[in-house]
Amino acid sequence: MENIALAEPAANLSIWALFMQANWVVKLVMIGLLGASVWTWAIIFDKVVSYGRMRSALNRFEQIFWSGQSLEELYRTLSDRKTTGMGSIFVAAMREWKKSFEKGAKSPHGLQMRIDKAMDLALTREMERLEGNLGFLATIGSAAPFIGLFGTVIGIMTSFQAIAGSKSTSLAVVAPGIAEALLATAIGLLAAIPAVIAYNKLSSDAGKLAGRMEGFADEFSAILSRQIDEKVARS
Amino acid sequence: MKASLTTSLALHAAVLAFGLVSLSAPAAFEVSEVESLPVDIVPLEELTQIQQGDKKAPMNEKPAPTPTQRPDIVADAREVGENSVDTDKPITPDPKPTPVDNAAAPPPAPKPAEKPAPQETPKEEPKPEPVKPPEPKPAPKPEPVKEPQPVQKPADQKPAEAKPEPAKPDAVAEAIAAEDKPAEQSSLPDRAPAPQARPKPAETQTAKAADSKPAQKTPASSSAQQKSDDKDFNADEIAALLDKRKPSGGGAKRSTEQASLGGRKTTGGNRLSQNEMDALRQKLGGCWSIPAGVDDAAMLKVSVRFRLDRSGVLEGRPEVISGGASSGPGRTAAESAVRAVQKCAPFNLPADKYDSWSEVVVNFDPSDMF
Repeated sequence: MENIALAEPAANLSIWALFMQANWVVKLVMIGLLGASVWTWAIIFDKVVSYGRMRSALNRFEQIFWSGQSLEELYRTLSDRKTTGMGSIFVAAMREWKKSFEKGAKSPHGLQMRIDKAMDLALTREMERLEGNLGFLATIGSAAPFIGLFGTVIGIMTSFQAIAGSKSTSLAVVAPGIAEALLATAIGLLAAIPAVIAYNKLSSDAGKLAGRMEGFADEFSAILSRQIDEKVARS
Repeated sequence: MKASLTTSLALHAAVLAFGLVSLSAPAAFEVSEVESLPVDIVPLEELTQIQQGDKKAPMNEKPAPTPTQRPDIVADAREVGENSVDTDKPITPDPKPTPVDNAAAPPPAPKPAEKPAPQETPKEEPKPEPVKPPEPKPAPKPEPVKEPQPVQKPADQKPAEAKPEPAKPDAVAEAIAAEDKPAEQSSLPDRAPAPQARPKPAETQTAKAADSKPAQKTPASSSAQQKSDDKDFNADEIAALLDKRKPSGGGAKRSTEQASLGGRKTTGGNRLSQNEMDALRQKLGGCWSIPAGVDDAAMLKVSVRFRLDRSGVLEGRPEVISGGASSGPGRTAAESAVRAVQKCAPFNLPADKYDSWSEVVVNFDPSDMF
């Protein structure tokens, strides 16, 4: 009698069995958390890859930019290509510069302002792309444990109701329900922990990249402003 | 993004699949089958409460003494045995040697022993009767010679009772004997306990001993006396020797059940119950006049020890064993406590628990009184 009682729950305690035994609310929570985990990891992979690409693109651009190549030439090669990072900032600034000179703008102040604005816009757009889905990671990192806890509370609640119905307080009766409910918290933590770690890592990476791009934008703005001054002085 | 999403999905699927395989069911704890030990909490009172039974019999749910053979039921019998009368005399194993002793035994108290014997023996056993015939014989003889007593003879079927009478010249002894007889008659049929029968002969014996010892001795009894003098006489067995009933002893309670573990008697525990204790406390509290107007209450706590005899009467002076003082309020308190015990003196306590209240220690504490 006792052997049977011990063997029975053991057979039903695999994770799949626990999931299948669970209440539908708990099931929903678990599925949602699993989906969140999948999405989190998708974002993490995506970000890691895109940040790596961005970093190498920045390195390449800086190399070309400071190689002494003529800015006009560089603009011509980059303008018909799809650019990222510093490239897009450079292209945006050069486009504004070109447009202003083609139309024969007189005020150097206005030109300077317009170029800065264009570069800011390009920078913001780049940053948006960089930090695009980091917010989701932050949300999962903070909310997933609570969602899991919600599932656990619901699960324990229903299992206690079931215990009250069965009128037995034996641990063998109580244990499966609680284990099943705790699975929800486990999945919540499983999703939340990588999300939090990745969020911290990726946001600091994004900050670094943004700093580099801002530095470049400032530098380029300074170069352009010098050029404008030279042109104004010449004319 | 698509690539990373598929990567993530694949990774999760892999992890889940791995988890399903490796994290399936945790191994169940090894529970060694330990036989559970039932634990009973048994109050001491239960141990001291003994049901009537057999000391050597195994435990049984239904308490019952050793089974008896005789089927006839004696009302109100307490002691288990094959007797027709209920007596608490211990069972003596062999009845054979006793008829011989019967003749030898009486001598320490020859006449009284003879008297009860004829009364009871006819009921109990047929054996002693043939031995006895010589006894009644001497009795009728003196009767016609000295005192014609028509009143007593028809009333009594006992010839033995008549025997001493001729010897007694004094009216007091006669009166006593006359008083005793009706009492015997009434008490005999249902019970014949040893103590009831014994005092009577003792009274008559003193009269006889004083007046007519030398004159009265019949040849038969004197010879028996001499024999018994030669035999070993144990003073401790006087009671048993005096009892002339069939020496097999035992009571008259019948039992047909399987014998179960138990004592000789059913006893109701030895300790005073809470109610009895409360009653004692209340009684003492009523007798106690608390010394008033004293500020040092610690000194007023007095413990008094006193002894009681079986009837609940105080034995000796109560003794202050703690608290109190030799002078001042402490002394007043101690004396008031002693006085309280003395004032309450005859205590009405259950006699069967005498062992627990033969010596009583009472704590008098004024702080309990307010």
